[in-house]
Amino acid sequence: MNEKTALHPALSISGASCQGCVRKILGALEPLTGSADQVEVNLEEQTVALPDGIDTGEAARIVTEAGYPASPLGASSATEAGSGGDHCHSDKVQEQAEAGHTHEHKEDKAESAGDGEQIHLAVTGATCASCVNTIEKALKSVDGITGAHMNLADNTATATGQADPRALIRAVESSGYGASVIEDPDAADDRKQEEDRKQYKTLLVKMAISLGLGLGLMIWGMGFNTMMVTSDNQMIWFTLGILTLGVMVATGGHFFTGAWKAFRHHNANMDTLIALGTGTAWVYSIVVTSIPDALPEMARHVYFEASAMIIGLINLGQALELRAKGKTSEAVRRLLDLRAKTARVIRNGEEQDLPVEQVEAGDHIRVRPGESLPVDGEITEGNTRIDESMLTGEPMPVSKGAGDEVSAGTLNTHGSIIYKATRVGSETALAQIIRLVKKAQGSKPAIGRLADKISSVFVPTVMLIAVVSALVWYNVGPEPAAVHMMVAATTVLIIACPCALGLATPMSVMVGVGKAAEYGALIRQGDALQTAGKLDLVILDKTGTITEGHPAVTRFHAPDDNTGRLLALAAGLEQHSEHPLAEAIMAKAKDEDASPDKVTGFEALNGKGVKGELDGQPVRLGNRRWLESEGLDLAELQQEADAITSEAGTPLFLALGNEAVGVIGVADAVKQDSEDAIRRLHDAGIRVMMVTGDVDATAKAIAQKTGIDDYRAEVLPEDKATIVSEMRGKGYTVAMVGDGINDAPALAAADVGFAIGTGTDVAIESAGITLMRGSLHGVADAIEISRATVRNIHQNLFGAFIYNSMGIPVAAGLLYPLWGMLMSPILAGAAMSLSSVTVVTNANRLRLFRTSNNAGKEGNE
Amino acid sequence: MSTLLVNAGGLILMAAIVWWFWLSPSEGSKPDNDHSHHH
Repeated sequence: MNEKTALHPALSISGASCQGCVRKILGALEPLTGSADQVEVNLEEQTVALPDGIDTGEAARIVTEAGYPASPLGASSATEAGSGGDHCHSDKVQEQAEAGHTHEHKEDKAESAGDGEQIHLAVTGATCASCVNTIEKALKSVDGITGAHMNLADNTATATGQADPRALIRAVESSGYGASVIEDPDAADDRKQEEDRKQYKTLLVKMAISLGLGLGLMIWGMGFNTMMVTSDNQMIWFTLGILTLGVMVATGGHFFTGAWKAFRHHNANMDTLIALGTGTAWVYSIVVTSIPDALPEMARHVYFEASAMIIGLINLGQALELRAKGKTSEAVRRLLDLRAKTARVIRNGEEQDLPVEQVEAGDHIRVRPGESLPVDGEITEGNTRIDESMLTGEPMPVSKGAGDEVSAGTLNTHGSIIYKATRVGSETALAQIIRLVKKAQGSKPAIGRLADKISSVFVPTVMLIAVVSALVWYNVGPEPAAVHMMVAATTVLIIACPCALGLATPMSVMVGVGKAAEYGALIRQGDALQTAGKLDLVILDKTGTITEGHPAVTRFHAPDDNTGRLLALAAGLEQHSEHPLAEAIMAKAKDEDASPDKVTGFEALNGKGVKGELDGQPVRLGNRRWLESEGLDLAELQQEADAITSEAGTPLFLALGNEAVGVIGVADAVKQDSEDAIRRLHDAGIRVMMVTGDVDATAKAIAQKTGIDDYRAEVLPEDKATIVSEMRGKGYTVAMVGDGINDAPALAAADVGFAIGTGTDVAIESAGITLMRGSLHGVADAIEISRATVRNIHQNLFGAFIYNSMGIPVAAGLLYPLWGMLMSPILAGAAMSLSSVTVVTNANRLRLFRTSNNAGKEGNE
Repeated sequence: MSTLLVNAGGLILMAAIVWWFWLSPSEGSKPDNDHSHHH
């Protein structure tokens, strides 16, 4: 190599992973730099180094045009992991994902680290996986765009990066599709629903016209005339041919324009196959009717009815598909419907009903029983019970009083409250949940990217197969060879449409993510949904995950069974203390309706307990060592104290004067349903492990109580991630369940991180899945839903692949030598439509799925 | 003669498909299959 001038990394690229890619980039940049030696491509870091003085903006444009999305370093360093979907790099990403690596986190980070704002587009005209690829590629080719993603299930595309939306629209339009910017996603939903309804009707009308003509021709041709052109009916058939052309243009014109636009860009999609298939049949027939003498008599068969009927059947399939697609987004619609339209705002002492958009943070809002809460806030007056099931999946209404946080979309079931708005509009938990669910619904798991990749090579391959089968029929087939050639080629083209393949994954993902949201599990990434199904080890954080996270009274015992007096005395003492243990005792006393005695002279003794006086008698509450040293006999309470210790609790003894009144056990109580949830995980064949900073004895007691297989005690928070990595190293596919803050590194290190949310904290970055309520049942639910979704995707993909791999040979005429059977192109059209309808219907079946914990859902239905 | 023409036509058509969808470059948006030779 020649002596080089100093090179500096100047561009960040994505999608390059082999020497072929390097050569291509070097070649593309050569005109700019003068020599390929003046450029260095670092595949590992995905950067391009250039000599000083080169216009990096221009270089980025050139490299992007060469097929590797690039941006000048410093201007934008985002390299979107999934970009360059057609390149070797994405294969690697995919392989990693399939090998169980957690690249979803990396993608997350890439996305959030990118200067990338996201631009959402509504796309029209996309029908299959090839369209998805074409559109994603067109978007990525726009300057400043670092990543693009198209969701066929709801026909939206998301581009990440800095670019003029008009340039994005132009890029999509130039590749043969329509696009418009989605300014307000909520309004867009309503608009889309309206448009879908219109399109559904239009498709049905088109279907009726083309199918009507096709059937009419068939009945007339077979019943009253002949499908063969003779000198008698030549003129009639010619006229009917022109009529058919008119109907084809009117009802199937979009297939032809779509095919042409794709063709111009060296792409092929479902439109290409339909246009070629029906076009071939029509051209053949019009040749037969125009110059019948050019063909042998046996070959003078017309197929006008096939052209018309295929278009009719495909229109019918698309109409049915459109209607079924609408149902898959039901989960989001249900969330959208939770939003209250108006709020009763108290301003300057006056109550007024205002549209919810006009509510500002700091406003006081009155909510009466039976009303939904319009925004997030904090209760200032009143007590009530709030039904949060729609957000958290928690079936029981939760008691709330002054100082408690409440969320928009929840239902006030009981009392009238006034609360102060803290988060309004797009800031509310509900709005964040809707955004998150939509984003996840649109994301593509690795398995879906594989299907897209396959179908992008698929269409041109099918065209080759069609030509090959036509030639085989011509050379070795029986007479009339021309007819057989045409029928075989047309049928192959029609039956091979990859539309079912393109729908298989996104449809199931949409339903699965929505279903999980119903159960209070928010899935952030399609990949998390896929990986959750493969988990075989769940690592649980103890505090706040298995347990409540704060001390509570677990047992109390008085030798004379006067527990009321025990609690009243203890509360009388503890009401003066602010220790967490005191809070636990006060809460228990309140629950049991024991009003605190009037204890005076309160004193806290560090390491011993607390003491005070009641009616001149000393009252003492504390540990055994202290009370025994004070000369009290606690033998009577020994058995109960042992039971408390064995359950990882702390016994507190209470004495009035010189008499032991009772013992109270305080512990960070295991959540009521933790044991059940862990059993469900076991039933699903998953090993459960606990990590905790607690001492071994406590950890052991909790592990035994809840049936946990294995535990690690005295673990420092920062070591949790190491344990996760260690278990992954042993070959487990690991889920980490913990809170989103302290456990963030461990969550990110796991194959799937589950963040236990509090119901409002939904945007936990480090976790693949956020659980809206604190129950571990959410983990089991998410895993069950994930398994069901992945199973559903497999069924869909299997169906689509089997259908194509069996359909094509049959269409090519493989059964002809055996049984003399050659499939009709009309049948191929019907089968093709049926295949997409089957896929969509199968995905919708997932909507009926219920997890094994039905109890958790009762409140929702 | 016609056999020769039809077969030659078919082969040319196949070559054209391969060239258009796999081999020929296009402005800005390469076909998906561009990198299929790597796999």
